[in-house]
Amino acid sequence: MSLTGTAVALLQVVLTIAAAPFLVGVMRLIRARLEGRVGPPIVQPWRDLRKLLGKDRMVSDNTGWVFSIAPLVLLASATLVAGIVPFLSTKSALDQVGDLFAVVYLLLLGTVFLSLAGLDAGTAFGGMGSSRAMTITAIAEPTVLVAIFALSVSTGSSNLGSIVAATLAHPATAASPESLLAFAALAVVTIAETGRIPVDNPNTHLELTMIHEAMVLEYSGPDLALIELAAHLRLVVFLGLLSNLFVPWGIATTAQPLQLLGAAVAVAVKIVVLAAVIAIVEVFMAKVRLFRVPELLAASFVLAFLAVTASFFLA
Amino acid sequence: MATLIVLLPLIPAVVAALVAIFGWNLATAWAGPVACLTTAGIGVVLAVHVLDHGPASAFGGQLRVDALSALMIIFIGVVGSISAVYGIAYLRTELDNGSTTARRAKLFGVLMQLTIAAMLVVVVADNLGVLWVAIETTTIATVLLVGHRRDRASVEASWKYLVLGSVGVATALLGTVLVYFVSRHSGIDASSALRWSTLVEHAGALDPGALRVAMGFVVVGYGTKAGLAPVHSWIPDAYSQAPAPVAALMSGVLSSMSMYALLRLKVVADIALGAGFVRGLLLVAALFSLVAAASLMVTQRDYKRLLAYSSVEHMGLVALAAAIGSPLAMSAALLHLIGHGLAKSVAFCSSGELLFATGTTHIARVRGLLYQRRFIGATFGLSALALVAMPPFSIFASELAILRAGISDRLTWAIVIAAVLLLVIFGAVAVHSLNMLAGEDPPGAGHMELTGHTSSITARIPLVGGLVLAAAIGITIWPISRLLDTAAKVLAR
Amino acid sequence: MSKTAFVQLLDLAAGLVLVISFAALWLRRLATVARMIAVQGLALAAVAAVIGIYEHESELVGVAVLVGILRAGVLPGLIRRAVRAGDELREVESIINVPASLLAASALTLVSYATTRDVVALSPAPQVRAIPLGIAVVLIGMLMIVTRRKAVLQMMAVLMIDNGIALVMFLGTSGVPLAIELGIASDVLLAVFILQVLTNRIRTKFGGTDLDQLRALRD
Repeated sequence: MSLTGTAVALLQVVLTIAAAPFLVGVMRLIRARLEGRVGPPIVQPWRDLRKLLGKDRMVSDNTGWVFSIAPLVLLASATLVAGIVPFLSTKSALDQVGDLFAVVYLLLLGTVFLSLAGLDAGTAFGGMGSSRAMTITAIAEPTVLVAIFALSVSTGSSNLGSIVAATLAHPATAASPESLLAFAALAVVTIAETGRIPVDNPNTHLELTMIHEAMVLEYSGPDLALIELAAHLRLVVFLGLLSNLFVPWGIATTAQPLQLLGAAVAVAVKIVVLAAVIAIVEVFMAKVRLFRVPELLAASFVLAFLAVTASFFLA
Repeated sequence: MATLIVLLPLIPAVVAALVAIFGWNLATAWAGPVACLTTAGIGVVLAVHVLDHGPASAFGGQLRVDALSALMIIFIGVVGSISAVYGIAYLRTELDNGSTTARRAKLFGVLMQLTIAAMLVVVVADNLGVLWVAIETTTIATVLLVGHRRDRASVEASWKYLVLGSVGVATALLGTVLVYFVSRHSGIDASSALRWSTLVEHAGALDPGALRVAMGFVVVGYGTKAGLAPVHSWIPDAYSQAPAPVAALMSGVLSSMSMYALLRLKVVADIALGAGFVRGLLLVAALFSLVAAASLMVTQRDYKRLLAYSSVEHMGLVALAAAIGSPLAMSAALLHLIGHGLAKSVAFCSSGELLFATGTTHIARVRGLLYQRRFIGATFGLSALALVAMPPFSIFASELAILRAGISDRLTWAIVIAAVLLLVIFGAVAVHSLNMLAGEDPPGAGHMELTGHTSSITARIPLVGGLVLAAAIGITIWPISRLLDTAAKVLAR
Repeated sequence: MSKTAFVQLLDLAAGLVLVISFAALWLRRLATVARMIAVQGLALAAVAAVIGIYEHESELVGVAVLVGILRAGVLPGLIRRAVRAGDELREVESIINVPASLLAASALTLVSYATTRDVVALSPAPQVRAIPLGIAVVLIGMLMIVTRRKAVLQMMAVLMIDNGIALVMFLGTSGVPLAIELGIASDVLLAVFILQVLTNRIRTKFGGTDLDQLRALRD
């Protein structure tokens, strides 16, 4: 583990955490403007977090240890992933563990803990949200695995850095059927896992449909702040993964400061563009009925599966 | 000879055009049987020529007639005449009692002749692609014929027939495309890559692995169209709802066309893949068909469906003979196709008369037919006897030959199963038809209701003629024996 | 056209044909499924065009144009007419639910790869490698016929099967001789036309195109 590598990883983590709430702010602003509202300023998510952090911690007597550590696990896993995923450079310090399986299971760890916490409080909504979240995760996680696996078949490695480097070396593969299919699959999963429309609506507390909000209903104060920050982080991580796996141009192949600066700008632009697209689509789209969600995810799994088949048989 | 071959499918096509232009009247109606008999006559001429001089070809080799094709041409002509003559009587009855219109009668006439024309193309084409197009054309033409009556049941039957038929035939097309692919990759040029004659010549050079895939699709596809189980479910619906002459044509010759395609392709497959592959598929289909037919004929309540399942049975037997594949089995298979075609077309035509006379297709509501409507009872009974392989009809000879060929080819286990199932079928047909012909009204039920329908002379001629022919071939096979043997040699291993 | 660009475009177009079959299983509105079938026809035409341009065969490019007109214009037009004529609920009804049909279709894709190994082994050309895609489309069409209980959907499935066969035809041998190709095309056209006629008859006789009503004939 080289010194520059560690520096790059740390830089990634710091930048991601700093930028994540802003990204959510940007998306909210875009939606507001399209809907004809003035909308909150971009720094509003940061202000919310500060406000929550300043409050007292309130925990129900009926909860156990899972409820207390879930926010920490969620944030820790998201932070770790933010350090692993090749955002700025293919030469990250955590490159050896920058494996697709590690990333997927770290993200899964957070989801599982959050669902357990939803159950732990023993309220009706928490349980409902957990069960819904698990339904989605049960299909979405294998999809992510299979989709990234499709990409790693052509590279011969499940290391994220190598996959990105290989796409850089052979730009034509970015438009091959397997990578397009994998992209489509991952895009659907990204939307499901980050709780966006049409799977979940981050802005409502409607008991009939809410998923993420139902699980975190019992949290308040600093705990809620951690969960919110983790949710923002996961959004950035997913979007960053999506953009750098399929459109890696701009990423640094060394650890030189100037290149890293360029890479940071590039990845920021890519993520903001993706986020803007999602926000715009959300305005024009209704949430699907809850029982249609498994169909949507099954479709994304099939796309991922086809991506693997294509990468084996067509290449 | 070349002109005759080209002329062959054109004759019924011209009749179809005449019917389309002038409508269904006495002259155009009788043009149909005349055309069929003419094609049978041309078939005889071609047969004599082929036996003396070997295969003849026309149209730059796209059309080719060997002994098998000649036999099939005669077969189509004869069975075509039976159903065309009966069709005249049938339509006259329907027009008289107002259950059809002049427009539908016209469509009926056009489509019957088009189907016959397409079948003639099937047997003279030397090209797998042309053969496929012709078979699909027969499907499309007969779908509308099955829906001739336009009531709920016939719409249902034609839908099922078209969907399953076109899926089946599409599978055969996929197989054909793959055969083309395989034959192109073994260096045969595009214009002759789908020709029978070329494929048989070069069969040894075809890639066996890929050809196996292609043959699998072809067997399933044409097997569906021939009505082999387990994809036979459209057969009872289509045959029972089709007007009697159409059912006679479909069951008598049309199903034999897909069988013909299968037998031809089997020759190529046997050389390229060894005998085992297609034999296995055919054996499975044959036994499945016999089981399906036997089990559903025992409990059958509808006499037209009974006849339809009997078709499944006989196609299964032909498939069994093809699976055996020895020269004896192949000539038995061809004789069986012909004997079945004659007997089944008579059976369906007389079931049409029966329906006119009684107004019902329920077996339970037809009783003592022989005393009340002697002619219909006699023809129905005799054709049923022919279908369960009673002498003197030719099916007796061909079934016996198939069983013997199977035993000498060490397929005794399959023959034993088949024989048991044939006994079951014999029992089922015997009980059902005896009840219909000589049975008494069950206590409590009313008497069989008879309409005033009497069979016209036009209806009687084809029925008697068909039975006489079927018996004649059974008594002495001499007139066609040389042709049959030569045709079987084309097919046998 | 360079070799890599050719492979890329070919795989994309052929892959699109397959993905659309999945979309047709996934979507619920009849009109949308009908539109998908039209897009599939376009993708098919693109496959023919790409091969034709790469191999400098103007005849194949012409065939591609015809295929585009027939399979993306005329035939889907007939289907659209059949869909529009119905007033009944315009949603897909299926014997098995959507995720199950998608999984079954994935399994069929694997089956088609497994069964065509020997075919693919025959030639190293990129077209030949994509043949399993066409066979998968055929199998998925059959799945759709078996599981969907609406006349118009079975009609679309028949068309999908034909699209799959045409794909195999173009990929395997750059099409069959023109005369046979025309024969096939006219037969397909007639079959779909008669299917549309029969759909209308079913609707007038049964008051809808739900095939579960077709149960008068059975043993």
